[in-house]
Amino acid sequence: MVQDKTLSSRLFDIVNYALLTIIALIAFIPFVHVVAGSFTTSAEIAAKKFVLIPTVYSLDAYQYIFSTNTIFRAMSVSVVVTLVGTAFSMLVTALLGYALARRDLDGRRVLMFMVVFTMLFNGGLIPTFLVVREVGLIDSYAALVVPIAVNAFNLIILKNFFQNIPEGLEESAKIDGCNDFGILFRIVLPLSLPAIATISLFYAVTYWNTYLNAILYLNDAAKWPIQVLLRQIVILASGLDADASLDSEVPPPDQAVKMAVIVVATIPILAVYPFLQKHFAKGALLGSIKG
Amino acid sequence: MRKKSMLLVLSAMLAFVLVLSACSDQSGSNNNQPSPSADSGSASEKPSEAPPANEEPTEITIMLPLNIAETPPDTIKTELEKLTNTKLTYQFFPADTYEEKLNASFATGSLPQVTYLKNQATFIKFKEAIRDGQFWEIGPYLSEFENLGKLKESILNNTKVDGKIYSLYIGRPLARQGLIYRKDWADNLGLSAPQTTEDLFAMAKAFTEDDPDKDGQDNTVGLTDRNDLIYGAFKTLSSAFGTPNNWGEKDGQLLPEFMFPEYIETMDYMKRLRDAGYMNKDFAATSKTDQVNMFQSGEAGLYIGSMQDVNSLYNNLVKNVPTAEVATHNKITKPGGEFGIWAIPGYNNVVLFPKSAIKTEDELKKVLAFFDKMMTPEVANLMYWGIEGTHYTVVDGKAKEMDDKDKIEREVKGFKDSVIGEPETNGQYTGYHELQARIDAEKFIIENEPVAIHDPTAPLDSATYTEKGQELQKIITDATYQYIYGDIDKAGFEKAIEDWKSRGGQKIIDEYTAAYKANQ
Amino acid sequence: MQEARAEVLELIPPKPRRHSELKKRIWKNKLLYLMALPGILFFILFKYVPMYGLVISLQDFKPYQGIRGSEWVGLEHFKRLFTEPDFLMILTNTLVLFGMNLLFFFPIPIILALMLNEVRIAVFKRTVQTLVYIPHFMSWVIIVSISYVMLTMDGGIINELIAYFGGEKINFLLSSEWFRPMYILQVIWREAGWGTIIYLAAIAAIDPGLYEAARIDGAGRFRQIWHITLPAIRSVIIVLLILKIGDVLELGFEHVYLLLNSMNRGVGEIIDTYVYTAGLQQGQFSYSTAIGFFKSFIGLILVMAANWLAKRMGEDGVY
Repeated sequence: MVQDKTLSSRLFDIVNYALLTIIALIAFIPFVHVVAGSFTTSAEIAAKKFVLIPTVYSLDAYQYIFSTNTIFRAMSVSVVVTLVGTAFSMLVTALLGYALARRDLDGRRVLMFMVVFTMLFNGGLIPTFLVVREVGLIDSYAALVVPIAVNAFNLIILKNFFQNIPEGLEESAKIDGCNDFGILFRIVLPLSLPAIATISLFYAVTYWNTYLNAILYLNDAAKWPIQVLLRQIVILASGLDADASLDSEVPPPDQAVKMAVIVVATIPILAVYPFLQKHFAKGALLGSIKG
Repeated sequence: MRKKSMLLVLSAMLAFVLVLSACSDQSGSNNNQPSPSADSGSASEKPSEAPPANEEPTEITIMLPLNIAETPPDTIKTELEKLTNTKLTYQFFPADTYEEKLNASFATGSLPQVTYLKNQATFIKFKEAIRDGQFWEIGPYLSEFENLGKLKESILNNTKVDGKIYSLYIGRPLARQGLIYRKDWADNLGLSAPQTTEDLFAMAKAFTEDDPDKDGQDNTVGLTDRNDLIYGAFKTLSSAFGTPNNWGEKDGQLLPEFMFPEYIETMDYMKRLRDAGYMNKDFAATSKTDQVNMFQSGEAGLYIGSMQDVNSLYNNLVKNVPTAEVATHNKITKPGGEFGIWAIPGYNNVVLFPKSAIKTEDELKKVLAFFDKMMTPEVANLMYWGIEGTHYTVVDGKAKEMDDKDKIEREVKGFKDSVIGEPETNGQYTGYHELQARIDAEKFIIENEPVAIHDPTAPLDSATYTEKGQELQKIITDATYQYIYGDIDKAGFEKAIEDWKSRGGQKIIDEYTAAYKANQ
Repeated sequence: MQEARAEVLELIPPKPRRHSELKKRIWKNKLLYLMALPGILFFILFKYVPMYGLVISLQDFKPYQGIRGSEWVGLEHFKRLFTEPDFLMILTNTLVLFGMNLLFFFPIPIILALMLNEVRIAVFKRTVQTLVYIPHFMSWVIIVSISYVMLTMDGGIINELIAYFGGEKINFLLSSEWFRPMYILQVIWREAGWGTIIYLAAIAAIDPGLYEAARIDGAGRFRQIWHITLPAIRSVIIVLLILKIGDVLELGFEHVYLLLNSMNRGVGEIIDTYVYTAGLQQGQFSYSTAIGFFKSFIGLILVMAANWLAKRMGEDGVY
């Protein structure tokens, strides 16, 4: 790649790098605060208000949350649900998305409108609950996946990416004897890696953040994912649930514990992104095939 | 052309939804069959309902809010099953979304045999369904049980719906509110416990201005408060000024507290405190955590709220300020006033027994028998304090928690909020405390009882209040803060009251007054 | 249900075309329909079937009576909403926050993505990308409580700084003037980095040869961005814009609720927070549903208008 070294280009770079550094720092500082808070004591958090570098180090919070197997159990539920759910969602979404991206599909506009319609109107909690129950999903892990398997937003985005693939490529594949499945899996998907990575990430994050469905559809607390534990601790520790905080016989969880749970519950999903990042560069693939 | 086709699509969509709704309505009604539509049955879903043979443990499923970090392990449950000859399934759901779960379960007929609500507000919401006969009326059975019969008449009275008892209550001390303050600061400045609101004001002033921690820096403030007019400082202060509790009688009418001059006096007092900087300026946006932080970091010296908070406040405070001392205090009045303190209706939650899950009177009696046993000292102690020797020991006839607080919190505390009655009725131990301020607090709580100011509307009903009382209350809450912050004046506050009245408040006044007179 | 679907398909005469021809084309694409089937079934089962729940907005719904047993009240609940004394205020607040979202938040991820795209040092790019993406995983509770700690007049860092430089402390948390800026800044802070992901994916699909050619033609950085990058991601931007417009309702209930207090309610109360208070009351299922329906309806109108506009401008739109 040729680098242009004009003055204005250099100036652009300097400003750009400086701005991005500042933005990155602003985005990062609160997380540093949370991590620092998790490695210190509640007393320090109370006294310092905004801890960035603790003066007292303590692993108590981590010891506390790892002293039972609840967090491990909840984490494994979340990891499995996220992996299986993302794979399942991607499959169904890609199949439907591809069909809808094909301009020769009759009724695609109606179908797309129907999809958009569901983004705006929903029947509400109780009717959905009844469907989930009729399908027999109550108390099964599938209840965390199937009822949210296709996200309309993700579907539309994916379809849009598919649409931008030059139709000529598909035509030539058809001539080579590929059927629609073949075209999707051999041509379209490999050419859409950045989009696949993006939408997988969106799904993964949705599954990782699953909270209310777990409480509604799973009566057995042993099946709950990590978000239930995280949210419960954050809400209690922040003194937001008035009834719970009224009963001083049950003091709210420690602030340091709150921070530690946030760290533990966030790190795995944070780690997904850098892992997917390499696929964003591979989009250059398209150019090479075309050329 | 396009417009037309879109119109067609749109109408087709609507038709589609309608067709679907037609077929789904059927599935809806299929679902409704097992749902609590009066006495029809849903045997398929609950294997736990098979009628047990004699001596076989009763199977009971219990749904209740989770007020701690995680669902407790089976330690207590196993013991409980042994003591009560039951087979229990506890379903804890996070308190914060408990109402969603409750509504979904209720609307789909899947409430378990024993359903704890979340708080009094949830109870009010369920009254309509209770009237409709969705839950067992248990009043007539109570006398059949030795221990359930001991439940306090006055509190049961507050939980009645149209004069009938449908629920068991989880008891709470009537009035735990009072003052917690920095004893060492007061001593440094030569101040004694405040007797009047003016003493309190002087103390807040001295704590802010006179360097009570003697570190030569201007880094302290008097009162720390939060965004809660009820359990924060405001309502407790309003009692000191002699304001009625939520509602008061005036000229034969029940009127809301904010129509009494004492309420205005309280607002003026808070305004003075805040304007002078003797309390946290942002209190209307301060959460309990941030409020408590100000006290625990050694920044603020006064805390008005539940006096039982003193333990956790003190324990965390001494980590930052090892020399700190705290004291509790009550009986603050306005100069020349008479002491009184607002009281809750004696319970903080209730248990209901859905007819959809309990089919027969027989079964109901078995479930009630479980609660009857729960009100024996042995079971009540197990659920409140844990296992003797493991979670607590008995010192001077009181329960003293063992040192492993984490273990207690994990294993026992989840069950604490489900114990029926109170120590006087279920015979459970009261707590043993070492912190003097807490010992005092417990004493003050008992002393508060005879002078408690009760809410006259607690046993009464107002249809308008149930429908939009909370929404209307927002007008008053906002106006109260705005007055304290100086955004509106007395005329503005009067206007808010007029607004409240015209939007349904007057109807609430009339309905409560009528119910009040009928009740006398 | 099958019948209903067929009916819908038949209702659309795409172009004057004979039925047998249509049938032939459908048969030719049978595999495509098969591929679409699981997804379509999902939407029918979990999205369309539950929609019968919307009818409770026309009822006085009682959970224990079910939809069949509840009393029909017609448009009663809608009337109540429109005659609510605060209705105009709530609607205005909602629309203002929505407008701010569109105006101040929407462009930011695009700009950020473009900035990131200009970074040549891979490590720097990846690091920045990862860092700006983190805030999305902090819940609003945490973000609002961190903001509180920084902004409070009782020793918050920002106000201490203002005071240190001789300024007057600003009442950020309890004022109507600061509510909206605070809201939008927090939204930007939390979601900007997350929002770049889609754009970065779209940018990744651009043929690098285009830049090369532009550079040979002597185009500067801004001209490259303007003539190559932006046009390449235009369709994504438009799709997202339309979807965002349909999202008038999603202003983040939890976020607004946490920021709301008695002093800023006049500008901060939005439809979502109002529904929450209304829903707190007994028997308000129907009222809440009616309000939700109203919100969705506005969203639908806006989406259809935006889509129509996009199509007029020669874009694909979302449907």
